[in-house]
Amino acid sequence: MAQRERVTTERMDRDAVSAAWPGLADPAHDSQRLFRQILGAMSEPGTLATLAVPAPPSDALGAALWGVVLTLCDLETRVWVAADLDSPALRQALAFHTGARITDDPASADFALLTHDAFDPQTPFAPGSDTYPDRATTLLVVVERLANAGPSMLSGPGIETIRALDIGDSPGCRALMDRLAANRASFPQGLDMIFGCGARLAAVPRSTRVRRADAKEVN
Amino acid sequence: MYVAVKGGEQAIARAHRWLADRRRGDRERPELEVAQIGDQLRLAVDRVMSEASLYDPELAALAFKQASGDLTEAVFLLRAYRTTLPRLAVSEPLDTASMRIERRISATYKDIPGGQILGPTYDYTHRLLDFLQLAGAEVPPAETRDDVTDAEPCPQILELLNDEGLVEQAVDDGSEPMDITRDPPDYPMDRAARLQMLARGDEGYLLALGYSTQRGYGRNHPFAGEIRQGQVEVEVHVEEWDETICVGEIALSECQMINQFGGSREAAPQFTRGYGLAFGHNERKTMAMALVDRALRAEELGEPISGPAQQAEFVLAHADSVDASGFVSHLKLPHYVDFQSELDLLRRLRREHARHSSPERGESLDRPSTEEDTSARKSGQGKHDRESGVHGS
Amino acid sequence: MNGYNFAYLDEQTKRMIRRALLKAVAIPGYQVPFGGREMPMPYGWGTGGVQVTASILGADDILKVIDQGADDTTNAVSIRHFFQRVAGVETTTATTAADVIQTRHRIPETPLRAGQILVFQVPIPEPLRFIEPSEQETRLMHALEEYGVMHVKLYEDIARYGHIATTYAYPVKVDERYVMDPSPIPKFDNPKLDGNPALMLFGAGREKRLYAIPPYTRVESLDFEDHPFEIQRWEHACALCGSDHSYLDEVITDDQGGRMFVCSDTDYCQSRRGEVA
Repeated sequence: MAQRERVTTERMDRDAVSAAWPGLADPAHDSQRLFRQILGAMSEPGTLATLAVPAPPSDALGAALWGVVLTLCDLETRVWVAADLDSPALRQALAFHTGARITDDPASADFALLTHDAFDPQTPFAPGSDTYPDRATTLLVVVERLANAGPSMLSGPGIETIRALDIGDSPGCRALMDRLAANRASFPQGLDMIFGCGARLAAVPRSTRVRRADAKEVN
Repeated sequence: MYVAVKGGEQAIARAHRWLADRRRGDRERPELEVAQIGDQLRLAVDRVMSEASLYDPELAALAFKQASGDLTEAVFLLRAYRTTLPRLAVSEPLDTASMRIERRISATYKDIPGGQILGPTYDYTHRLLDFLQLAGAEVPPAETRDDVTDAEPCPQILELLNDEGLVEQAVDDGSEPMDITRDPPDYPMDRAARLQMLARGDEGYLLALGYSTQRGYGRNHPFAGEIRQGQVEVEVHVEEWDETICVGEIALSECQMINQFGGSREAAPQFTRGYGLAFGHNERKTMAMALVDRALRAEELGEPISGPAQQAEFVLAHADSVDASGFVSHLKLPHYVDFQSELDLLRRLRREHARHSSPERGESLDRPSTEEDTSARKSGQGKHDRESGVHGS
Repeated sequence: MNGYNFAYLDEQTKRMIRRALLKAVAIPGYQVPFGGREMPMPYGWGTGGVQVTASILGADDILKVIDQGADDTTNAVSIRHFFQRVAGVETTTATTAADVIQTRHRIPETPLRAGQILVFQVPIPEPLRFIEPSEQETRLMHALEEYGVMHVKLYEDIARYGHIATTYAYPVKVDERYVMDPSPIPKFDNPKLDGNPALMLFGAGREKRLYAIPPYTRVESLDFEDHPFEIQRWEHACALCGSDHSYLDEVITDDQGGRMFVCSDTDYCQSRRGEVA
């Protein structure tokens, strides 16, 4: 009897979670559509995409990055969540919709969820190794804004000539772009980032050369 | 006017239909039932299950029937089905010590606790064709079956040696083994991953490799410590109930080889082990697997690596019959674009060869390039490429 | 198809492949290990490409499948039929109409456009494999950017034949870092890899590796200053469409050794003939 009661309570909790943190209505087709947008963003760094995803209750994360989580995370992935995004509700929603394991160790994370404010260049995310550069953390970062304007100029694979990307002016945003600029020196090790702002998304992988138009050479 | 060959789709459909017709054979005779295959061709079914890594005698028999008796094709059919199955639970490690024994022999002791049990073996049959089977003669029922299956679980021989410390212990360190069905191979592989790959490796391939170690290509002085066959319970731990329950029984063959001892200044000499395990009645496979498992431990045990069976990447990368038969058979696919490339180059080289074969033979064909070779070799770090005249275009 | 998920693969397998594809795109030319699955066609017959296509394909995509440049070769027919069956997608033979093109051994003659994805079937993804058979060794060579042996191998050809004797699967360097096997396309197609507006994904099923060339990526064919890379040329034009700049197949027309040359890219050849007519 006790067993059955526990199961019922769990189910009610689960219903509550799925109502508040929406999943994908049609998992196979929705995740395919979202993946193609993410793949497009990663293939053509700095291009902006708008993801059609039901928005999560917390504005802090935004629909686009929640869509990335739903599309890419499952029980085979480890997710690190920065303190300012962390909440019991998010953890429950992650467990319920994806089964992903939450980790406290950024070096073992496949994905890291954070905001630009919480970005600390010293956090030891996994950059991969020279032999296995793919074993690196992908950062999913909430940024101030996303626009194809100065000051950061991107070039390299996926970019025909040059592309401007603006993620914001905060110290965190500047530190993020500095970190991306540093990727070249350690290539093929490095961090790949997917930026979200509401339903909008852009990506900058480690192959991208990042230069600030308005400042002295970064790094 | 030339018209390219069309109608591939129709050709494929007709080939499939023809194949099905051939498989069915003479309609005057009754169609082979899957249950008959499971009953009367059980060793084929066991081999298909082992190499497909799926314990399902009925579907293995179906695959064997569908493949017209081609074991490699049947393994492939069942493996391709297996990969679509959801993973519902992970069983507890199987306890082969508590096997319900059908057969159990040791070559290392004349008599053993629990006894030597021959079981249903071909070992001492004289290989004389039994023409009575052509006539469908009655087969009398077995006699010893009941006594055998009622026997108490027998201790494992290697555990007896354990008591004296004569044989190395295989200790479960509790770490989660790699899953070769989900993770790509990552060399060097630990023994748990190697054993998984050997367990689904092609029997003929392992047999040849194991045999090669006996003939001196990486000899490891094996004794068949124990071979056992029988039924083993599969248990699953259900977390919600915090209980371990038996979900069924499967037939297994197990071989534990006892091999030449190692030892060092620090460690006293001990026998080492090779291990083989397979679904069903699959004794030859388990013996070959145990020999190869032991051979692959050469590096770990500080032995020189001198035979092919000791080279882990070579052995493991080529063990899988689904991999191997796929890649060999892909040579049947059209390659005419690449062949055209080769034709083009060959014609050009022959033209040039004819030109240079004339008395005033030019230098370009056999111009020595040793110096460039050496400098290019030294330029290994890539960045030096331009210094040695090597560049991208 | 009854009992199977959209595009055959289960969602968890697709996610695993999708994550690997993102890493492949982020590190152009690097071979990402992935948990390749058995597919219902043999290894070596395009299982890597099929897994990639199954992981990216959507219900609204239009798919083209070619083998040797042709839409009507048996394996192309078979793979196209597989996706019609398991994903119900629309298929085409027109390069310009396709969103996703799965290919074996060719890059279409018609230039690809931005937004298209070309999926290559790869038998042996490791360009260094025939120089160094050990995976542990070649992985280290890529890590150290230790590619001297590849140049030595090519130069040995020059020493023996006067030419680089590699005519297909001709190695390239991607974005000035990774040496990559472009799959067994004829070297005629190598220049199309450079700066292509389409995304190019490579899948090796048996070897369980994925790699990618993002759009507009610099891809150089390895060569030497005194022996620059060059592509095949024909003394003939296509007997059907008259093209003098496409890759030609030699067709034996009779048992006296009579032969003719026709475009290997059947769609290209047909559309040219359509224009002329």
